[in-house]
Amino acid sequence: MIEVKDLVKSYGTIPAVDRVTFSVPKGSILGLLGPNGAGKTTTMRVLTTSLAMTSGKVTLDGFDVAEQAHEVRKRIGYLPEVPPIYGDMNIISYLKFVADIKEIAPEKKTNRIGEVLEMLDLENMSRRLIGHLSLGYRQRVGLAQALLHDPDVLILDEPTRGLDPKQSSEIRKLIKSMRGQKTIILSTHILPEVSLTCDNVVIIDQGKVVAADSVENLSQRLAGGKTLEIEVKGPGAEVEKAFGKVEGVASLKLLGKETRGISKFEVTTDGSAEAREALFQCVVKNKWILYQLNPLGVSLEDVFLKLTTKETAS
Amino acid sequence: MNFNKIWAIARKDMGHYFASPLGYVVLAVFFMVTGFFFSLIVEQTRSASMIPIFQNSVIILLFITPMITMRLWSEEEKTGTAELLRTSPLTLWEIVLGKYLAVCSFFGVMLSATLVYLLIMVLAGNPDLGPIFANYLGYSLAALTFFSIGLWASTISENQIVSAVITYGILLMLWVIGAAGGSVQGALGEILKYLSIFEHMDDFFKGVIDLSHLFYFLSLIFLGLFFSVKVLESKRS
Repeated sequence: MIEVKDLVKSYGTIPAVDRVTFSVPKGSILGLLGPNGAGKTTTMRVLTTSLAMTSGKVTLDGFDVAEQAHEVRKRIGYLPEVPPIYGDMNIISYLKFVADIKEIAPEKKTNRIGEVLEMLDLENMSRRLIGHLSLGYRQRVGLAQALLHDPDVLILDEPTRGLDPKQSSEIRKLIKSMRGQKTIILSTHILPEVSLTCDNVVIIDQGKVVAADSVENLSQRLAGGKTLEIEVKGPGAEVEKAFGKVEGVASLKLLGKETRGISKFEVTTDGSAEAREALFQCVVKNKWILYQLNPLGVSLEDVFLKLTTKETAS
Repeated sequence: MNFNKIWAIARKDMGHYFASPLGYVVLAVFFMVTGFFFSLIVEQTRSASMIPIFQNSVIILLFITPMITMRLWSEEEKTGTAELLRTSPLTLWEIVLGKYLAVCSFFGVMLSATLVYLLIMVLAGNPDLGPIFANYLGYSLAALTFFSIGLWASTISENQIVSAVITYGILLMLWVIGAAGGSVQGALGEILKYLSIFEHMDDFFKGVIDLSHLFYFLSLIFLGLFFSVKVLESKRS
């Protein structure tokens, strides 16, 4: 649906975005993750035709962002970094204005505005001046604007900025509910947001893509899916010794003390499925009892820090 | 070019004028000053002519223009709403014309108040309506030219004050440049004279509609709008 190939955007000689390549399949949600100043907003502005690229090719539903900007604009809903709202208008008249410039048929206007207001829980506020609203409400009005013409593609620059945790989770729910119907790119530096809402993630740092994968793969790839948590009922010392001899086990650590004959280990393996099977067989052979064998996920936060701090560390 | 979209932008920008005291204050000042001129002139000359009113009111236009054009684009850029306009299915001409239409409509409201003076003259005297029409035309053309320049200045900076100062500068230059024309010999002098707004307004105030003057104003208006579009275009790169 969205194809970004070798996208470069330079300000003067400084590249803000440097050969960024990624694609977003139709109906999926992509998280654009990166520290502040990484080039997320610049990338989004190019995708939404607000900014011309220096080089590269970006297509959206087959339409070239540079050549067929007008067609692209009809198909996108964009929530910029700062919600594009007019403080001296009330929500209804603002959305009417947006409906006019986004080519919504006059007879559908009122209905659609009602739908969007309901979707974002803004009905009670519809006659209030936007300038008098709190940050959270303004953000929601910004989202209403992006959703109004029911675009196929949504590009959301930090959609939960300024919202309290409850509002954030509602917005995330709303975004997730559109999975399958709309293709969505959202940027954030809030990591749980990505694991909660996105299918795929692209991590950008200093204008470059440092990782692009599905959320699970990425967490797994970095941890390698290698760390297991194992709880076994059996003599601790013997278990530890036996596990140490299992093929594929790299290191072993006893977690806490043995309680009621149950000991807990953190085992690092080579990541193969065989190693897990071998550990299981080992327990069975010794007639111990296996309480649990869990791969330990690494949080996206670890991945993020690992990827984006790599260069400064070396 | 879609007129509905142009009109939507014009309506929104007209709304901004009246959502703040600015619109009302500008109107009030305009009515006050033109009203003062009207009563003074009627009292002193006892003639049913609008010429002195318009001649004197051009100065007011000079002061009012930057105030009503400076925010047209600067404000959009500053508050981030420019992103909405840029990423909506709008052409830059639609945006620029919408904004231009807004300020012109505001001027329409302003100008309609002067009809009261005309009405009083018609009721109390016997004014010659032909020259008065030329007066209105000349005055409006000058105003529309000023607005087009003001709109262009507004696209340049996201700081409203900067836009206003640029507009003042250009309008004053167009005003005084004719004076230089008198002291410079030859072709350059002629060019300077030609650029002066005053040169072109005079005939209208005398009641004459000359196509060459019409051309002068219309081309300045077009240039202002054209350069506004160009500036907005350059902001994308």
